[in-house]
Amino acid sequence: MKTLIMRRVPRLLILVFLSSLFSFAANQAVAQTASEPVLLTSCGQSPGPVRLKIFLQKLNVNFDYNLQAKADDLISKKKEGKPYKSIIIVTGASLKGMGAAGVSMDDELSRTKALIAEAKKQGIKIIGSHIEGMARRSQGATAGDNTDEMSIDAVCNVCDFMIVKKEGDSDGRFTTISKGKNIPLILFELNTEISDVLKKVYNK
Amino acid sequence: MNRKDIIRKSLIGFVGLVVLVVAGIRFYQHRHFKEQVVIGDQVKVKKLGNYFDGVKGTFNDCNIYFIEGTEPGATMMILGGSHPEEPAGRLTALVMVENARITKGRLIVVLSANRSATSVTRPSAAYPQLFTIPTAWGGQQFRMGDRWSNPLDQWPDPEVYIHYPGKQNLAYMDIRNLNRAWPGRANGTLTEKTTFAFMNLIKQEKVDVVIDLHEAELQYPVINTIVTHEKGQDLATMASMTLTDFEGFSIGTEFSPKNLHGLSHREIGDYSDAISLLLEAPEPFLDATRGITGAEQLLEGKDAFVVKAGKHGLLYAPIDDKGWPIATRVGRHTSTVLQIMQSWNEFHPEKELVCEGVPKYTELIAKGLGAFLIDPGSVAKGKVVFE
Repeated sequence: MKTLIMRRVPRLLILVFLSSLFSFAANQAVAQTASEPVLLTSCGQSPGPVRLKIFLQKLNVNFDYNLQAKADDLISKKKEGKPYKSIIIVTGASLKGMGAAGVSMDDELSRTKALIAEAKKQGIKIIGSHIEGMARRSQGATAGDNTDEMSIDAVCNVCDFMIVKKEGDSDGRFTTISKGKNIPLILFELNTEISDVLKKVYNK
Repeated sequence: MNRKDIIRKSLIGFVGLVVLVVAGIRFYQHRHFKEQVVIGDQVKVKKLGNYFDGVKGTFNDCNIYFIEGTEPGATMMILGGSHPEEPAGRLTALVMVENARITKGRLIVVLSANRSATSVTRPSAAYPQLFTIPTAWGGQQFRMGDRWSNPLDQWPDPEVYIHYPGKQNLAYMDIRNLNRAWPGRANGTLTEKTTFAFMNLIKQEKVDVVIDLHEAELQYPVINTIVTHEKGQDLATMASMTLTDFEGFSIGTEFSPKNLHGLSHREIGDYSDAISLLLEAPEPFLDATRGITGAEQLLEGKDAFVVKAGKHGLLYAPIDDKGWPIATRVGRHTSTVLQIMQSWNEFHPEKELVCEGVPKYTELIAKGLGAFLIDPGSVAKGKVVFE
């Protein structure tokens, strides 16, 4: 009996590994879609959301642009009878941006946490995004400044799928989250490809 | 006092006098060195004093170059020399004046926005007073400058500098910093009067976009970027994305903080109809951890100590043994300015600005900056003006 178990455990492990690989690959293969109206916001007040805003405008996607969107905004939109169907939260922190908005990273993290909690409650699809590449990762920040990574952790670990610039994943940060949490990841190389990504996501 | 003391003190006094005279001559030569600019048939030159009597005849009554197309369109203003210790800004402006041909719209270019600051270098920082850009016809010399107006033109500094009208408490010496003195005031310091005159110009000439050209140390987080006023976010972002995709270098965007006063990207946007943008290119010469300071380091942008700082993760821009040569830095600026024009045209097809003849990033790197400077000796006398 013992010998039988010893013989089967490796096979079982291989099976589990293969099935998890298959499930990951399947997740990548399935086209990720979302619905309008959309809320485009930020976690970290970086200029990244403007990139998405330009393409959402060009594609005539019905969206609101609010870099400091709060849970209350989702609630009031629902009360109006026009609830958001998806939220795009762009990660990456900017000291200039947070300074301009008069907020700290702690403020950003607690606002985002409440926003995500309300979105989940309302069944709104959450898209985590990182648009600006390695320049908006901790490699582009002061030694010891990990605000970029904090914003990524706050959003990408709990979103429904991710849209990320491939160069910003050159250390495998987002691929690791995707594999570990089984969250689909859409990678794009050129900024101009953002348009194609959004076209597919919002069926435009 | 005995005879020995008299001789000793006289000798010391004489040596002091020699140092004073030699330094005085050098300071005078630097301050009055005439940089030459070749102007084409399309270029018209005005003075800043045309827009405000308060700067007329002062050291900051700088040249304003107008290059106008035959067809109407947008007006863009390029500001070089806000901080003359950042030479890529002034040299980019020069390359534009000497090479740009405008077919639609109008380009207004300034080489010495704070001309006073072009006449002084940083005390005790060992800056070269002049530097030479090599050309096929020998080379062209330029004044190296400082971040602040020359104390000969504006002195003394107060202990506290309260920005007008923002009422923000800024560093005391920044009362002589042009990029902490926007939008200026008519009865202020020379630096404030200068920005006041520029604001009059921007309003009177109905400028659509102002681009302020700068360079930054690699240890400063706002580098390789376009800093933008709210009004210019889409324009700057579109330009940044296109450049990063297709031009061969990466450039980001940063929002202009609303609560940081005196800067061009904030105040020009707030106090006029113009969109205000500021470009930052990397200049290792400005890094505090640099090694030997000199014209070679200024122009080649190579520094082993800055490279070492990078290896310790202390920089916001990459650097290797190739450094950041001046042609690369100027090329970043020319390509960014041209792409901003292109993106402007995409957003405003009814009011285009079309510019030809200005070399881009790859062309400048391939041929060198000197290839795009025109020999003042090869043109008629009336086609050379002095900065």
